[in-house]
Amino acid sequence: MGYAIVLKNLKKTFGETVAVRDLDLTVPEGALYGVIGPNGAGKTTMIRMILSILFPDHGELTVLGRPSALEAKDRIGYLPEERGLYKKMRVGEFLVYMARLKGLDGNVSQRVKEWLGRVDLADCEQKRCEDLSKGMQQKVQFVAAVIHRPDLLILDEPFGGLDPVNQRLMRDLVLEEHRRGATVLFSTHIMTHAEQLCDHVVMIHRGEKVLDQTMAGIRETFDPHRILFVPLDPDSDIAKLRAVPGVRAVTPDGSAWDVALDGQAHAASVIPALVMAVTPSRVEIRRPTLEDVFVSIVSGDASTALDDDARLRAALRDGGQEGRR
Amino acid sequence: MKKMLYVAGREFTSTVTTKGFVFGILVTPLLLGLVFFLMPRYLTKAPPKVEGQVVIIDPTGVVAEPLAAHLTPERFAERREKTKRDIENAAPSVFRRQAAALPSGEAAIRQSIDTALGEVPRLQVLPLPGGTRVEPEKEALKMALPKPGSGPAPRLAVIVVQPDAVRPAEGTDTFGSYELFVRNKLDDRLVDDLHSGMRDAIVAARLRESGLDPVRIRNLTSVQRPGSRTVTAEGERTTNSVLNMLLPMAFMILLLMSVLTSGQYLLTSTVEEKSNRVVEVLLSAVSAMELMTGKILGQMAVGLLVLALYAGLGVIALVSFATLGLIDPLLLVFLLIFYVLAYFTFASLMAAVGSAVNEMREAQSLQMPIMMVLMIPWILWLPISREPNSMLAIVLSFVPPLGNFVMLLRMTSQSPPPMWQAWLSIAVGAAGAYASLWFAAKVFRVGMLMYGKPPSFGTLIRWARMS
Repeated sequence: MGYAIVLKNLKKTFGETVAVRDLDLTVPEGALYGVIGPNGAGKTTMIRMILSILFPDHGELTVLGRPSALEAKDRIGYLPEERGLYKKMRVGEFLVYMARLKGLDGNVSQRVKEWLGRVDLADCEQKRCEDLSKGMQQKVQFVAAVIHRPDLLILDEPFGGLDPVNQRLMRDLVLEEHRRGATVLFSTHIMTHAEQLCDHVVMIHRGEKVLDQTMAGIRETFDPHRILFVPLDPDSDIAKLRAVPGVRAVTPDGSAWDVALDGQAHAASVIPALVMAVTPSRVEIRRPTLEDVFVSIVSGDASTALDDDARLRAALRDGGQEGRR
Repeated sequence: MKKMLYVAGREFTSTVTTKGFVFGILVTPLLLGLVFFLMPRYLTKAPPKVEGQVVIIDPTGVVAEPLAAHLTPERFAERREKTKRDIENAAPSVFRRQAAALPSGEAAIRQSIDTALGEVPRLQVLPLPGGTRVEPEKEALKMALPKPGSGPAPRLAVIVVQPDAVRPAEGTDTFGSYELFVRNKLDDRLVDDLHSGMRDAIVAARLRESGLDPVRIRNLTSVQRPGSRTVTAEGERTTNSVLNMLLPMAFMILLLMSVLTSGQYLLTSTVEEKSNRVVEVLLSAVSAMELMTGKILGQMAVGLLVLALYAGLGVIALVSFATLGLIDPLLLVFLLIFYVLAYFTFASLMAAVGSAVNEMREAQSLQMPIMMVLMIPWILWLPISREPNSMLAIVLSFVPPLGNFVMLLRMTSQSPPPMWQAWLSIAVGAAGAYASLWFAAKVFRVGMLMYGKPPSFGTLIRWARMS
C-alpha cells in the first residue's frame, strides 16, 4: 500500500514567526488521520502546504504520488477552515460550478441533486447561498469538497460552528467517505472529535509534531494507571483503599476517589481487592483522554512553563465541552 | 485551460446578470439607441399644415403691407429653399459624398429636408387701423380651432405695432417696437417667421423714413461666411472643426469607459471572493494563476460587451444620420486592440489590489494611484487632439499605460501618425500589459490568503519580489 501524503522536513516561516518547523509526516492510503493542536499550532499552514496553496521554505512533499498537489488537484477534496460561498449564487449552480472546476464532466447536476438529498438540503437547490443558515452553508461546502469522489479528503476544522445533530451528520459523512476508500486527514482543536473519529492522531504544538500514533497505541502508551472509584457510602474510610497492595495514592475527586496504581500493578488484580475493601457504587478504569495526553506531552516540553498548563487545559476543554454538548 | 474558462464564464454571467449592470450599462444605451433610431424617423414626419389669419393693428400704416408680403406662400417657399441650401452646405463633405453615392441620394436628402420643413403655411394678413381696441381682437385667439377645411380660417396671431415703431416720438431718439399675441400651441417656426417678418418690415420702414434704400443697406452689411478649407499634402478638404474634436473624444470615452467599468467590476468581485472566504475553496480546485486569469478574461468579456454596446450605438447613430462614412472601420479594429491592451494592464493591477485588501473600503486608497494614471489621458486630451504630432504626443505614445489612450487619440485625429508608430505603440503596450500581469500574478498569490491589516503599495511590491 502506498502513501497518500509524505512530508519530509517541511518548514514555513512568515516573517519572524515560524509556523511549521521540521515536519515529517506519512499518511498511508485509506487511513483516517486526525491532526490536533490548539489554535495557532500550525495545522492550517501544514494543510495549505499539502495542498500547494502555500509553498514550504524548504522540505519535500509528495501528495498522491505527485511532487505537488497541483498535479493531483482533481483527486483531492478540501474543506478549508476559512470557507465561504458566493452569496448571490444559487446552491445548485455553485455546486455545479465547483464540480466543473474539479474536472467533473457529464451530468453534474444529477450528482448535485443526489448529494443535496443526502445532506437534507434537497429543497435548497434553487435558494441563494446567502439565504442558508450557517450550518446549511457548511454542509454545502462539504458537498463541494467531496462531489468529485476524491481519493484524498482534507478537512480543516470540519466541525466548527455545527450543532450536535449536524456534527453527527458530518461525522457520518466523513466516515462514509473513509469507508468508500478515501484517505481522510482532518484537523481540529477539539480533542473529543479526534477521539471519536480517527484511527491515527498527529499532534502539533508550536509548529512541531509532538505525537504521531494510532489511537490504540496512545491508549497504551499513556495509560494513566488510575481507577475511578465511587464509594456507595460517601463516609467510607479512604485509608482502607490506600492499604490495598498496588495502590500508590488515593486522592478525593469530588464525590469520587482517584486511585493511582503502581507502575507494575494490573488493574485486573487491584480492582477485586478495592471492591473487597470498600463497597463501591461505581468502579472504572481511567482512559487517557487526548487532552491529558496533549497536556502531558506539552508540559514535558522544557520550553513550556508549567503555569501554561492550566491555561492550555482550559483551552482544550472549552473545545471539548462544545464537542460534547 | 478548461477550468480557466469556467472561471471566466462564471465571472461574466455573475457580473452581467446583476441588476446594477443591467440598468446601468444596458438599459441606458438601449434607450439612447432607441432615441437615435427613432429621432430621424420622427423628424421626417411632416409637421401639420398651418392655415389661418394674422391680425395686425398698425397705427404707422407702413408696416402691415411689407409684413403681408413677407408672409405670402411664395416668400415662405423662397426662404425655405434658402435654408435647404444652407443645410446642405453646412453638412460635412463626407456626408455629401456618401449621399451622392447612394442611389438617388441627393434627391432623398432634398425630400427629407422638404418634409422636415413642412408644407408652406397659408396666411391671410388682416390689417386694422391704429386705435382699434386690442382686447376684442384677442378674443378670437381663445376660440377652438375648427376642423381643417371647414369654417372660416382661424385667427392665429394678433400683432400690435406701437405708434413710435417707425418714427421716434417727439424729442427722443428711441424707437418703439411691437407686441405679439399668439394662439396656444402655435407652431414656433411660424412664430419665428412672424418675428422676422416684423423685424424686416419695421427696419425697412425706418430706413425708408430716413431716406435710405433698404436693399442697398442689406447688400452693404452682409458678408458671406465661407467654410474654411484644410490644406494638406494630399490635397484640400473642408475643415470640420466640431467633428475633428468629437471623433477622438468619442473613441477615448469609449476606451476609458469600458476599461474602467470592467476593471471596477474585477476589483469588486475579487474583494468579494476574499471577504466571502470563497477564495480558498476555489484555490483547492484551481491554481491562483488560473483563477486570476479566468477572472480577468471574464471581465474582459464584460468590457467588450460594454464597448460593443456603445460603439454599436455610435454606429447606429451614424447610420441613422447617414454619416457612417465618417469612420474608418480600421479605427474600430484599433479601438479593440487598444482596449485589450489597456484593459489587461489596468485589470491586472485591479486584481492585485483586490487580492490584497479585505474589503472595498480598504481598496480605495490602493486604487487611487491607478485611477490617477487613468485620469491623465483626460487632461492630455485637448493638447494632444489639437497637436496630434507634437513631441509630447509622440513620446507619450510609447509610455505603457498611457500609450494606448494617446495613440488612439492621435489615430482618430485629422492628421494620424505613421503606421509604424501605431505598431510600435501596440508592442510597447503589450509589454506593459505583460509586466503588469506578471506583477499581479505574484501579488495575487500571496494576497488572496492574507487577511488582516491592509497593505500599502510598498508591501505589494515586496510580495511580488518575495514569491
